[in-house]
Amino acid sequence: MKKPVVLILISIFLLPVIVRPAIASEIWLFAIFGLGANLLLGYTGLLSFGQATFFGSAAYVAGWLMKIQGVNAFLALVAGVGVGAASAAVVGYLCVQRSGLYFIMLTFALNQLFYFTAYQWTSVTGGEDGMPGVPRPAISGIDFKDPLVYYAFVSLLFLLSLYLMKRIVDSPLGKILQAIRENEVRAEAVGFNVPRFKLLAFVIGGAFSGLAGVLYAMLFGIVPLEAISFVFSGNVVFATLIGGSGSLYGPVIGSFVFIWLSESMSTVWARWPLLLGVAFVFVVLFLRGGVVEAWHKLSLKFSSGK
Amino acid sequence: MLYALMGLGLSLITGILNIPNFAHGALFAVGAYLLATVAVAIGNFWIALLIAPIGVALLGLAIEYAGIRRLYAAGHDYQLLFTFGLALILSESIILIWGPIGYSHLPPDLLRGGMDLGFTMYPKYRLFVMVAAGLLVVATWLFLEKTRYGAIMRAGIENKEMVSLLGIDIQKLFTVAFALGAYLAGIAGALTAPIRGLNPGMGPDMLGIAFVVVALGGLGNLLGAIAAGLIIGVAQALVAAYWTEASTVVIYAVMAAILLVRPQGLFGIR
Repeated sequence: MKKPVVLILISIFLLPVIVRPAIASEIWLFAIFGLGANLLLGYTGLLSFGQATFFGSAAYVAGWLMKIQGVNAFLALVAGVGVGAASAAVVGYLCVQRSGLYFIMLTFALNQLFYFTAYQWTSVTGGEDGMPGVPRPAISGIDFKDPLVYYAFVSLLFLLSLYLMKRIVDSPLGKILQAIRENEVRAEAVGFNVPRFKLLAFVIGGAFSGLAGVLYAMLFGIVPLEAISFVFSGNVVFATLIGGSGSLYGPVIGSFVFIWLSESMSTVWARWPLLLGVAFVFVVLFLRGGVVEAWHKLSLKFSSGK
Repeated sequence: MLYALMGLGLSLITGILNIPNFAHGALFAVGAYLLATVAVAIGNFWIALLIAPIGVALLGLAIEYAGIRRLYAAGHDYQLLFTFGLALILSESIILIWGPIGYSHLPPDLLRGGMDLGFTMYPKYRLFVMVAAGLLVVATWLFLEKTRYGAIMRAGIENKEMVSLLGIDIQKLFTVAFALGAYLAGIAGALTAPIRGLNPGMGPDMLGIAFVVVALGGLGNLLGAIAAGLIIGVAQALVAAYWTEASTVVIYAVMAAILLVRPQGLFGIR
């Protein structure tokens, strides 16, 4: 096994010892979300500012299914993945027709559209108060009410997602997406249907976001309105960039840093988003390429110093 | 009219600097809070109205100088992240300084109460805002259309390389454009304070609207931004009157539709 995988496995076992299982679970589910966002941002070169659309929609639908319809967790997860992929298909279909600033603004507009729909549709979503009382139903007798059991479940799904994403990225499809990132015109000229592949990246990313969304709803027992807001979209972009976009493990490291920092800061100081903003600015000004690149540079420095 | 001011400022920034300024809403909020603070501190609304937007413009100047300047070559992702981070810093600072609870700020004595327009009573202050914002829009438009520097700015939107080839300091142009955009956001915020009161959520709300206006008017299309601001303002009021729940949803649906069908904006020619 390669080094990063070993490191991840070690951290999966160590993490619940260090932090509360809820935070540990949040780290890995956010990493799933980040993996999906990174397929767009890092591999295809599309800055979507609307990833929360898929995350939030899936969380709402799955939450509603489990709460009102009494559906079991497995079906809810499948439904969430489906909703994530479907909403991403719709949004993606519209967005891939534009590029640059227009693309960003379009993802933003559609995110706002979903946000305000959720905001107004209080009978289902609870509006500003969120949708409380999402249960954590058992799968084939395994009781997820125990936070550690649920943590194991989330970790397992995370490893599965990581494996899947690695397969996707290394597949011909992944190579085509990277070709689009590097030179869209050339990819088109070589004969690839660029919009179609962008859309595919959207759908796959949306499915990952959807999975993360359902896990999020089950973890906290509530779907807050923030889960579908553009700020949340910004967070996942940030987590991806902080770790390093365009590398498989970037968003994993990013979520790790992002969630850990924000969760530990939020208990200390209510105004922690201020520090988050400072961190954004700092990363952009001094640490472009994220932790992964900084690590590379650092290790280069050390090896040349010897 | 206020929407037109916001849209004009944001359109200037997106048009000339080619940067999605997610801090525009926060600048708006800072303008409002500055006005309230200065007005209370020195007891004069008019001086505060003069000072507050200048403060925001200076803030914009500092932001451009310290950060955005280094990001022109970077991708949109980093520019966006930077302004997004700024927005977080500004809005959290607002909560830190002024507290999380919204409060109201009264218009000056001179403008309190209503005015009989013959067919209806209308609050004096709102009339004042309409006139003031209208004058500002006209002034900005005249500056951009009739002065030499305004012409350079418009040229900057059209073709940056050509402008810098002609020996014009494009860096300075960017700085001025950002400061001017910030000024417009600040004064829009300052004017809003006595109407809608102050609360930390006002920035993000306005940010969304400003982007809608810019999209509707066309990126970098200044006249379009003014017209779109008016249209959105009227449309929102109308939809809100007949179908309150949908007013915000409709606005973003319109924005998405415009971006899809006419990305050059309603009034774009290109």
